[in-house]
Amino acid sequence: MSRPPARKQENHKISRELFVLTYGALVAQLCKDYEKDEDVNICLDRMGYSIGIRLIDDFLARSAVKKCRSYSETTDMIAQVAFKMYLGVTASVSCTSAAGNEFSLILDKNPLVDFVEELPAERASLCYCNLLCGVIRGALEMVHLAAEVTFLQDRLKGDAVTEIGITFLRKAEDRKHKR
Amino acid sequence: MAVCIAVIAKENYPLYIRSIPTENELKFHYTVHTSLDVVDEKISAMGKALVDQRELYLGLLYPTEDYKVYGYVTNSKVKFVMVVDSSNTALRDNEIRSMFRKLHNSYTDIMCNPFYNPGDRIHSRAFDNMVNSMMMQVC
Repeated sequence: MSRPPARKQENHKISRELFVLTYGALVAQLCKDYEKDEDVNICLDRMGYSIGIRLIDDFLARSAVKKCRSYSETTDMIAQVAFKMYLGVTASVSCTSAAGNEFSLILDKNPLVDFVEELPAERASLCYCNLLCGVIRGALEMVHLAAEVTFLQDRLKGDAVTEIGITFLRKAEDRKHKR
Repeated sequence: MAVCIAVIAKENYPLYIRSIPTENELKFHYTVHTSLDVVDEKISAMGKALVDQRELYLGLLYPTEDYKVYGYVTNSKVKFVMVVDSSNTALRDNEIRSMFRKLHNSYTDIMCNPFYNPGDRIHSRAFDNMVNSMMMQVC
């Protein structure tokens, strides 16, 4: 299923409210289906994973970025280019470990939680935007970078900012040593 | 500055009612309840003639000796009722309209919250803050 080559870049835009409301309805329905917050979180992560493994090709095709040489370049690419392209916001990156394989993305504004004021009392440990973690994890896995992505801080839970932590697990495959 | 603000659902039960703390708050509840009849009257009177042009703001519903009651209906038949002190003559129609518009905007924000089920009572801090800003300051 390849795209016809003559087609120029079409950026279809949809209404932001529609997207945010759809995501909200998805989370609300999951909350009705599962009793435990952990199950909802896992389900969101799985959904995000399946989105991420498909989204990465679209991202690479549209952004035409060069190969990243290091983990910090990769994280910068996610924060500046990918977030901007898909969510319209940029995140700031900071490296949180001396080994250089743990990073955190700090989101000032998160459009997905526009209408959610705070989590309901019985859902205190729900990670509302866990889908994003799954997307990042899936996308990185398709470019052969295994990573663990979790929420370190969440504005909905009362923290000051929303912070996503990315921990790269294995070394990136070195292209020079092709068998 | 309002003395009591209430949000009434389509089925005429209260979704949110807040009044300034006095010793007989129940009288505000009764006032709002009786004003619902006047609201229904106004809707049905205007509804037959010009359904498209029916305005959301209903205006002064009825004045009592101490208070004046204003009403506003949304297109989904959710009613906002505001009780204002009669002695506060400085309040003009435009100000009441803008207060209702703010109420309506906050209400739509609450409706967009995915965890809010339409028909539930309203428990929102943002809505509370907005209503507080409209109520009379009682020292």
